[in-house]
Amino acid sequence: MTKPYRDNLPISADGFMDQFMRLKRGSVSRRHFLGVTGLGLATAVFGRFPGAGQRAYAAGDLGTQMSIATWPNYHDPATFENFKAATGVAVEVNVFGSNEEMLAKMQAGATGWSLFVPTNYTISTYSQLGLIDELDLSQVPNFDPATQSARFTSEGKVDGKTYALPKNWGTTGFCVNTAKLKTPMQSWKDFFEVAQTEADGRAMVHDYQLTTIGSALVSLGFSFNSIKPEELAKAEELLIKVKPHLFAINSDYQPSMRSTDAWLTMCWTNDGAQLNRDMPELAYILGKDGGEIWTDFYAIPKSAPNKPAGYALLNYLMDPQNAVKEHIANGAPTTDSRVIALLPAEITSNKIVYPDEASLTPLEFGAAVTLTDPGRAELMARFKSA
Amino acid sequence: MRAFATAVYLFLYAPIALVVLFSFNSGRSASEFVGFSTQWYGRALSNTFLMEALQTSLIVAFVSATLAAVFGTMAAIGLERVGGRTRAVFDGLFAAAIVVPGVVIGISTLVALVQVFSVLNPALAALWPGQAPPQLGLGYGSIIAAHGMFTMSLVAMIVKARIASLGRDIVEASNDLYATPLTTFRRIVLPQIRPSILAGFLLAFTFSFDDFIIAFFVAGSNNTLPMYIFASIRRGVTPEINAVATMVLAASIVMIVIARFLMRDKKTAD
Amino acid sequence: MELTPKAKKTMVTAALIGPAAIWLFVFMVLPFFAILVFSVGERAPAGGYQPAFTFDQFANLGARAAAFVNTLTLAPIGAIACLLIAYPLAYYLAVKVDPRRRLLLVSLVVVPFWTSMLVRTYSWMYLLGARGIPHVLELIGIENVRLINTPGAVLLGIVYGYLPLMILPIFVSLEKLDRRLLEASADLGAKPISTFFNITLPLSLPGVMTGVALVTILLLGEYLIPQLLGGGKVFFIGNALVDLFLQSRNWPLGSAIAVTLVIVVVAVLLISMRIAWRFAGTRQIDLV
Repeated sequence: MTKPYRDNLPISADGFMDQFMRLKRGSVSRRHFLGVTGLGLATAVFGRFPGAGQRAYAAGDLGTQMSIATWPNYHDPATFENFKAATGVAVEVNVFGSNEEMLAKMQAGATGWSLFVPTNYTISTYSQLGLIDELDLSQVPNFDPATQSARFTSEGKVDGKTYALPKNWGTTGFCVNTAKLKTPMQSWKDFFEVAQTEADGRAMVHDYQLTTIGSALVSLGFSFNSIKPEELAKAEELLIKVKPHLFAINSDYQPSMRSTDAWLTMCWTNDGAQLNRDMPELAYILGKDGGEIWTDFYAIPKSAPNKPAGYALLNYLMDPQNAVKEHIANGAPTTDSRVIALLPAEITSNKIVYPDEASLTPLEFGAAVTLTDPGRAELMARFKSA
Repeated sequence: MRAFATAVYLFLYAPIALVVLFSFNSGRSASEFVGFSTQWYGRALSNTFLMEALQTSLIVAFVSATLAAVFGTMAAIGLERVGGRTRAVFDGLFAAAIVVPGVVIGISTLVALVQVFSVLNPALAALWPGQAPPQLGLGYGSIIAAHGMFTMSLVAMIVKARIASLGRDIVEASNDLYATPLTTFRRIVLPQIRPSILAGFLLAFTFSFDDFIIAFFVAGSNNTLPMYIFASIRRGVTPEINAVATMVLAASIVMIVIARFLMRDKKTAD
Repeated sequence: MELTPKAKKTMVTAALIGPAAIWLFVFMVLPFFAILVFSVGERAPAGGYQPAFTFDQFANLGARAAAFVNTLTLAPIGAIACLLIAYPLAYYLAVKVDPRRRLLLVSLVVVPFWTSMLVRTYSWMYLLGARGIPHVLELIGIENVRLINTPGAVLLGIVYGYLPLMILPIFVSLEKLDRRLLEASADLGAKPISTFFNITLPLSLPGVMTGVALVTILLLGEYLIPQLLGGGKVFFIGNALVDLFLQSRNWPLGSAIAVTLVIVVVAVLLISMRIAWRFAGTRQIDLV
């Protein structure tokens, strides 16, 4: 096997053997699939479509398009236009509602993304499952580890290897329409109480196990990351009790908050900042009893069809001049001191974006185990289907 | 009775009227009318992602509907020539293809394709003579195949029903007059089943163009228009989407009128 | 070598049916087989699928009982609600309306199908949301009405989305009705109402059966309407499936539910064919 040839393989030699062995073990399906002669035709059809499996081969050849998987309202739309103007690569944006959904699409196979935005607690799982590659930092000269705040960025490294570079950090609190709700709220305990009383029919929780179950746990005095069955059972009891009073179970709460269909919602920093900027009566509150603090990263899938463009966009986004525009547009705090230096004072003094240290103290980073724990996944599903 | 009918039409058209109205909104939101403007049409036409999604949807719908019309019609004709048991098996398969929910088609096709790819891709890489073996993946092909599977069955059922209602005697008369089977088909059968093929094609096109759930699972990185709209609903819709929907509606009304006109022409000619 | 006419005929037949057969096999039979295999597997530790041979997933179907109950109640209720609105309109179109305007009015029933289902549903999200009908109600003094994200909103979306599918088959069966029967009935002194119940209604039953079966079957797999108008709170089997594949990533359980859903759909189809045969004297459910 020659070297360039191996580089073109979709997965490493180890990964290939692993896949192969797995197929051997699960050979029931494989035998049947292999036995199908008609697949030759399908092969010809699929292989020919551009975008279905195209890869750029020479480093430096960026191609004309790539796609990124990210969160809703998370980027300055101008970023991608400027990137296209600078490199000729058009960026297709796919948005997701939860890390689970991103992981599911990756596990299901070819996603076509060349860059994606996973949250801190998922990175170790992605690398364990062999879904992301160690980053080649020589291709990201704009990234400077010295200017990063280690508090937020440590989870990008697994076993000393860098798999992901930070985009921004943030918190998970709640957003209140203070024109509609008069009860003062300071904690997740308050959140769930008001959701059943004054905000009956007007409160939203995320369609996302980490924050919805986590916040319910916090309101009961448990850890945000608990996977203890008895604590989860209590959280489930609370969530099922609250469900009939909820407006929706949905991670896309911006439209409903703006239209005042909903008055109270679980909320991420960036959405809180955007909502508050446009409608000052929408306040953003961090739970005094706890909650989540997080960092979103950029990573490159192993199956990325256009890695050169993925690296190019990553490097472009690591440029403080570009990152600061992203920051101003999406409202989530940066991990990079070079970006802070470029920010206008009204952002650095915004308490939604950069809260006091004291209000961050009770918050916890999400733990990797919550991503794959079947108990939490099943609890969320029971809550939704109840 | 009349009042009731009017009320039902109002119910059917009020939301559509609202979509059209907001496409002319000068404000940013698709839910608060500020003033009249056509700016969103310009924005929609210059939004590369929206246009790409529209293009993907048009290609997928056109190719899948064409394949469905051709293969579905061929099958309907071919099944006239086989025994009752084979016909019953295919009737069952066509019916199954039509009643199996889209969400199941999407999920099962994804699961099956991913398994197939994970076997074929390494095999292909090992056998490929050149430096750059092709990679099979989800994309246009998978959406077209999944849509076509369903719509081909639709076409086959429609055309079969039409063939069943055709008089046998005219075909026999043609054969008696020493026309070759091909001539009989071209001159006698095809003209009579053409409207059903066209109807089947239009139905197939409409289904494919509007489908969200199958594409949601089997699409690769290309978004179809419904996928783009679904993502927009998550972010908060701008009147751009309304403008595209209005243009699609206008185009389809024109197409319906043309189709009606063509069919009426045929009828009077016959 | 000269082929016998019979061999030639067989080859032509095979060439005609072949593509459809391959397509159905690769993209329907094979995928169904794949989920069948998955449904006896296990959830991998990190989510997804790992091979096994167990019927645990089917034993665990009860975990989604609520979704099945929701779907199996709201689907027939939705179909019946459609029927109650569709029948009078179809009757009006087939019997009462001026024949010269009939084509136009029937076409108008179909046109909504040509706009995006998603956009139309979004339009309802707006109409039912705080700035739509509740806002109008506020102006006349009724405050804080919430319509969106309720079972009622989902039902409304269902009726809206599927009404044309109910109207068309009923219209076709009423249009085929022999007018002379109605005249004869009237000549024999029957009141219009008894003519309707003794002649018109029984003869239109095949259309009614087709419409109800079609709408019910399609509703069993619905995902978008509950998702968009139910706010993630009104959960259908379709929603449970999407959730199992994309959120909790329990693909074996998802596959087991998908297999069960297919069985339910086929059962509903067979039962309605049975009913159609018994009551309407036709075995045919015209799906297209």
